[in-house]
Amino acid sequence: MNAAGEEKGDRSNLPQRPEGCCAPIGPVPFFPDPFVARPPLLSPANEARVFWRMRTQMAATNVRQILSRSRLRLTLIVVLSVLLWAGMFWLFADGFTFLKTALPYAATYDRTIHAVFSMFFAALMVMLVFSSAILLYGALFRAEDVPLLLSMPARTERVFLHKSQEAILFSSWAFLLLGSPMLLAYGIIEGAPWYYYALLLPFLVAFIYVPAGIGAAICLLVMRWMPRHRNHVLVLAVAAVLAAAAWISWSLASGPRGTLLTPMWFQQVLSRARFSQQQLLPSWWLSTGLLEAARGEWDQGVLFLCLLVANALMFRQLSIWIAGRVYRKTYDQLQGKDSRARATRPSRLDGAILRLVPLPLEMRLLLVKDFRLFRRDPVQWSQFLVFFALLALYFLNIRRFGSNMYQVGWVNIVSFLNVSVVGLILSTLTTRFIFPMMSLEGRRFWMLGLLPVRRERILWSKFCFAVGGTLVPCSLLVLFSDTMLGVPLFVVASHQLTCVLLSVGLSGIAVGLGAKMPNLKDQSPARIAAGFGGTLNLVTSALYILAVVALTALPCHSYFLAHHSFASALVATRPDLARWLNLWLVLGTLGTSQIWPAAEPDRASR
Amino acid sequence: MIELTDVTRTYGRKVAVDRLSMTIPPGELFAFLGPNGAGKTTTIKMIVGLLRPTSGAVRVCGHDTLSEPQEAARLLGYVPEEPFLYEKLSGREFLEFTGRMRGFSPAETTQRIARQTEAFVMADFVDTLVETYSHGMRQRLAFASAMLHDPAVLVVDEPTVALDPRSVRLLKDLLREKASGGTTVFVSTHTLALAEEIADRIGIVDCGRLAFLGTRDDARRQASSPEMSLERLFLDLTEGGNGRESSGGRLPARSEE
Repeated sequence: MNAAGEEKGDRSNLPQRPEGCCAPIGPVPFFPDPFVARPPLLSPANEARVFWRMRTQMAATNVRQILSRSRLRLTLIVVLSVLLWAGMFWLFADGFTFLKTALPYAATYDRTIHAVFSMFFAALMVMLVFSSAILLYGALFRAEDVPLLLSMPARTERVFLHKSQEAILFSSWAFLLLGSPMLLAYGIIEGAPWYYYALLLPFLVAFIYVPAGIGAAICLLVMRWMPRHRNHVLVLAVAAVLAAAAWISWSLASGPRGTLLTPMWFQQVLSRARFSQQQLLPSWWLSTGLLEAARGEWDQGVLFLCLLVANALMFRQLSIWIAGRVYRKTYDQLQGKDSRARATRPSRLDGAILRLVPLPLEMRLLLVKDFRLFRRDPVQWSQFLVFFALLALYFLNIRRFGSNMYQVGWVNIVSFLNVSVVGLILSTLTTRFIFPMMSLEGRRFWMLGLLPVRRERILWSKFCFAVGGTLVPCSLLVLFSDTMLGVPLFVVASHQLTCVLLSVGLSGIAVGLGAKMPNLKDQSPARIAAGFGGTLNLVTSALYILAVVALTALPCHSYFLAHHSFASALVATRPDLARWLNLWLVLGTLGTSQIWPAAEPDRASR
Repeated sequence: MIELTDVTRTYGRKVAVDRLSMTIPPGELFAFLGPNGAGKTTTIKMIVGLLRPTSGAVRVCGHDTLSEPQEAARLLGYVPEEPFLYEKLSGREFLEFTGRMRGFSPAETTQRIARQTEAFVMADFVDTLVETYSHGMRQRLAFASAMLHDPAVLVVDEPTVALDPRSVRLLKDLLREKASGGTTVFVSTHTLALAEEIADRIGIVDCGRLAFLGTRDDARRQASSPEMSLERLFLDLTEGGNGRESSGGRLPARSEE
């Protein structure tokens, strides 16, 4: 038991134990003298090894758990990723082949490819700067393990490096997923030598470190010198980037109608995309180095790789140096900032919901509560604003594909594809925000469960909240797309009806499955959405979108075919086609009417 | 030894800790009491180096926590009110990480883990993932981790929250034994009985200022009646403290070092 007395020596000068204090009843640890010589502080290399060991142990546990518990999720992720990768590879390969045929002059082709690469990597570089800065902010200042790490005898720089590795990993996987099919497709179409493929990974990794280092430095400096204005800085930066993206896409797509994708158009695009060809940009080094390697100029390729690696190391060291000087101070500064009380003001919108929405009072109160929780968590919804803004940007530019230029049927397909894209984004929104709502209520059920409210009403309030929140952006975006494409009025009406079906159905699926498969253990909506229930919700939603869009798009498309000269003639000679069209119309009506009630939340509540 | 010299910490205009000065010598078990928002956790975070004093100095065994955070952290063991433990590590892996971070060789880390596992009766769960632990198991692991390197200074924030009576008993014995072994033990608590039972000295903080500092006997002398309990003294000293902290009201210090 307690052998401490054997080693402690004379402690007559130590305070005496209070009278009658605590006779030991259990095993008490044996503590040697605390003032014995202690091991020296770890060297930076050993410190790195200890952190690395911890990281690999946690990663191994995660992998084991995913393999044993989440096989469906893993399979879905792998299959969908492979499909996405293959789809992008095919698109890029087709694109490069098209460019080769559309641009007969080798010089123009080379310049175009260089411009495409430079634009692509410049855009990704901007995104990487943003994502690494935002992720690093969460990792350095919000993560739960930071107090533990900062109270240990670890160097500040090591804690920063440990956290920045996480941020780099999470911010760059999408870059690799997007960049690798393009580069491989180019290599194959061009018949690049083996060292082009060998240089790909070093080039991409070195490139990633540049925006990651810049993002880290920006994050640390903004948090050190402008902690109170961090959200303003972020909003301004995002607005500036979106405005720049809008201007660039506008200027690239502008020009007289009828010149799209012609050699003259390519010339114009090249001259307008000159900004991405600045030789001081790391994206230019990356594209130039890879293109040189693909052409057999391996020494030029290696030269640009060295340039990228040198800069990557420089930005890495710069961010470490800044972190060593400001991280602890900034962390300390933020602790104080977070404790300030935030007063809330009554919102007119809340008042309007309470007064005007034709629902029972208890449902209105629940609606207002959910709406307040949602809007006071900007981290959650701001990413969807960016999604919607990008989508709007894309719709703004599809005016170039107006119905005057191309076949009416083709425009109709594009318009329905746009509806599907909006639906898919909506399904990620319902999976991310609506599905976890019932799980999150689980811990508050001591309060909700004791209220004199029928359980069904709680579910119906979630459903109404979801429909209200999804229908408005969905309808507006689709209306915008239709206006830009100039589709006929009845197609617009059909699309709006599809939006209602999508919004109601996806909300019903998310609320219903959320109630059927709650995760009461996690408090993070992101983790709840990433679980089995969330994955099932996403897959079910995707199938629902497919069914709804197919059942509404095909009759519409068939109508178009039937009312245009070529298609009318075809239907006249093929009476069986008319029967098929009628069948689709009936099936469409029946199908949507069957899917809708299946998603009603009443069933789930039971 | 912990030395706080004229330590002030502000959050904007709010003074969380106001000119706090005290010295806790080796081998003393010091109980730090105060109402919610009185500045207890801020003081603790300054001692362990997570927060920096706005003015004044905090030293741990002579090392300034501001200028020598690593040296100070080497001598400290810290158990926060809600300790963070990596969910995807087992208890043993977590202890290995802390042991190696403290500079122990793999063999010595293993020995120390074995000793802590026995001391905190963790053999049944030390090899399972932390995500499966109950509150009590997490608390035991947090203590084992904080004591793995036999710290010269042990800082514990609200140690008895949600612990069963047996675990509380074990904890009291453990803290007392640590102090008797020469370690400086700094315990922040709301449980007055705990402070009364095991502490060598007691500090009561209110609105960021030290309202009382002394032994239990000093407390009795301070009170109007010799039979007055610590609870009565605490309530007298901190009366309305929760409401006053925002208005910046302060009590005069009634006892100095």
